[in-house]
Amino acid sequence: MRAAASVGGAGGYGLGHRRDWRFWLLLAALLAILAALFAPRIVQTGTVRDVLVVIDVTGSMNVRDALSEGRPATRLAAAKGAARDILAGLPCGSRFGLAIFTERRSFLLFEPAEVCGNFAAIAGSIDALDWRMAWEGDSYVGRGVHSGIDLAAGLKADLIFMTDGHEAPPLPGGALPSFDGKPGEVAGLLVGIGGADPSPIPKFDQDGREVGFYEEQDVPQENRMGPPPEDAASRAGWNPRNAPWGGEAATGTEHLSAMREEHLRALAAQTGLGFVALGAGGGLLAAVEADTRPRPVEMRVDTAAIPAALALFCLALLFGLGATTSRRPDRLPTR
Amino acid sequence: MNAAGAVWEGLTRGWGVDHPAVLALLLLAVLPLLATPFRRRGIAAASLIPDDPLSRLLGAGLRLAGIVAMVALVLGLAGLHRREQSVEREGTGAHLVLLLDRSSSMDNSFAGRAPTGDQESKSAAAKRLLAEFVARRPHDRIAVAAFSTSPMPVLPLTDHHEVVDAAIDAIDRPGLAFTDVGRGLALAFSSFADDTDEASRAVLLVSDGAALIDRRVQEALRDAAARTPLHLYWLFLRTRGAQGIYDVPASGDDSAQANPERHLHLFLQSLGLPYRAFEATSPEAVAQAISEIDRQETRPIRYAERIPRRDLARPAFLIAALAVALLLAAKLAERQLRPAGRRLAGATPLPAADLRRAA
Repeated sequence: MRAAASVGGAGGYGLGHRRDWRFWLLLAALLAILAALFAPRIVQTGTVRDVLVVIDVTGSMNVRDALSEGRPATRLAAAKGAARDILAGLPCGSRFGLAIFTERRSFLLFEPAEVCGNFAAIAGSIDALDWRMAWEGDSYVGRGVHSGIDLAAGLKADLIFMTDGHEAPPLPGGALPSFDGKPGEVAGLLVGIGGADPSPIPKFDQDGREVGFYEEQDVPQENRMGPPPEDAASRAGWNPRNAPWGGEAATGTEHLSAMREEHLRALAAQTGLGFVALGAGGGLLAAVEADTRPRPVEMRVDTAAIPAALALFCLALLFGLGATTSRRPDRLPTR
Repeated sequence: MNAAGAVWEGLTRGWGVDHPAVLALLLLAVLPLLATPFRRRGIAAASLIPDDPLSRLLGAGLRLAGIVAMVALVLGLAGLHRREQSVEREGTGAHLVLLLDRSSSMDNSFAGRAPTGDQESKSAAAKRLLAEFVARRPHDRIAVAAFSTSPMPVLPLTDHHEVVDAAIDAIDRPGLAFTDVGRGLALAFSSFADDTDEASRAVLLVSDGAALIDRRVQEALRDAAARTPLHLYWLFLRTRGAQGIYDVPASGDDSAQANPERHLHLFLQSLGLPYRAFEATSPEAVAQAISEIDRQETRPIRYAERIPRRDLARPAFLIAALAVALLLAAKLAERQLRPAGRRLAGATPLPAADLRRAA
């Protein structure tokens, strides 16, 4: 059908003729688009999070009993993957800081920085984490978490502490070190990494080459600092002066490592943090969201989409009805 | 297939939409081909209408206006934008690795004591002055590495200075026990391993002491220095009373164990790299040394300037508004074809030429 035929008309000359529905739909569309052009941006409150991620880089993190992208990997690789997931999952405006843990301290690499603008640099920094950064072989996880809490409190960030919970040397009597802070003052969570079954810990020589696994006699099986345990008197060869821990070398399974979930849960309860075991599907981001504190920020939201959608609807209705109603005129204008 | 992919890639590189799913609504844009906003009336015979190119052109134009309006609305709704672009520009600057000592002696003042009152610890002075230094050099790509008992890569080369500031802010936290300069330097040299840019490269070592460098590490450093041409600056924060870089001890004592600072200086000089050492015994001297380094590193660099993302939703809505306004104007000019008998009283018969004045 030619436009001229439908547009042109010799009949109703003059301005006073009726407006049909098509006209009103067009007018509505135009008004809606004008409204979209001048639509205000309203301020809405969104939430972002400030986190300090502390990653355990001690020797037990080299155990290959974790999964990274579906493949067996070291616990450290899994922790780095989890840190990257958290980095990618945080909304823009959130801040992300990174620290490493060995010995008994959390050591800050950089303070929390905005995640979207600095994404590449932060991701590169996570990738560069390595067990060689550890400055000591000890792994006092409990004290490391406590120092991580101090660090996070100073930075006004929430703590995400990734560890397998393997204390080396073992805690004396299995008791947690005392916590000076107020539980729950710093929010956050412990992320447990590693499998439940004890696995051998790889051993490296001074050039960083892997030379086998730790044996039972390579690691202290019992912490013999401080006073001996109360049952020591019943041990073989006990002598209060010469052999207060008993006369035999301690035996145990400290040279094998599993994720110490009970220990981590106790530590989480002591410090008021949450706990999640890595590897339970997409549970990590949900746990981070649940256990860290949201920080409200103002976000400008454009409202133009609503009138624009209305305009599109009007036009679609106009052309759609025009197209679906019979293409042939119902009757010729004859009489 | 690949060619089509490349073309698509080329088209979409600089552009993007926030909600790609909304683009499915683009299908609606065929509707104006099937219908017009004008009243449809039959006419008795097609031969009544003279063949009129102008009318046909107008008709096609109005259909096009309908399509344009729909497409512009859908694109605006999908959040059309021009992506953040980066333009290469020439400036002065360098690729710089800040190699920072995080040993616990940095937490003391220049007098070698725990800082009291108005005194500043060496790490706090270094932090403040390095932050100013970085702020003065907006075009540099900066990496950060730290060393103490072990070397630690902190940040890869980046031009986002916000995160560099965050890393510099971290250096006045309590440090660790030892000072392994050698492996720290090896780490700093390796930061340039996959940096293929032509820009000038520099390593700025900030430390308050030195230590013996293992012979094997020395060899590795000589290798690395031969492979990666770079400028080396050592900002030595000298504690009052401590041995300096340039002090030549009485004969017999001149061993690397007794004077690690002097021997590190000799070793760095022997690397065959452009090298300068600055000995600073106070925050003011550090500031002077840093401004000297700032002056030295002024070779041209190509840096990427970011042009922020531009939202194009409003311009799209403006185009839609113009197109719909055009349709509406045409609609207002629509004349109804009425049977002759129902012509309004008083209306004059039209001249035949008016038939053409469609819109």
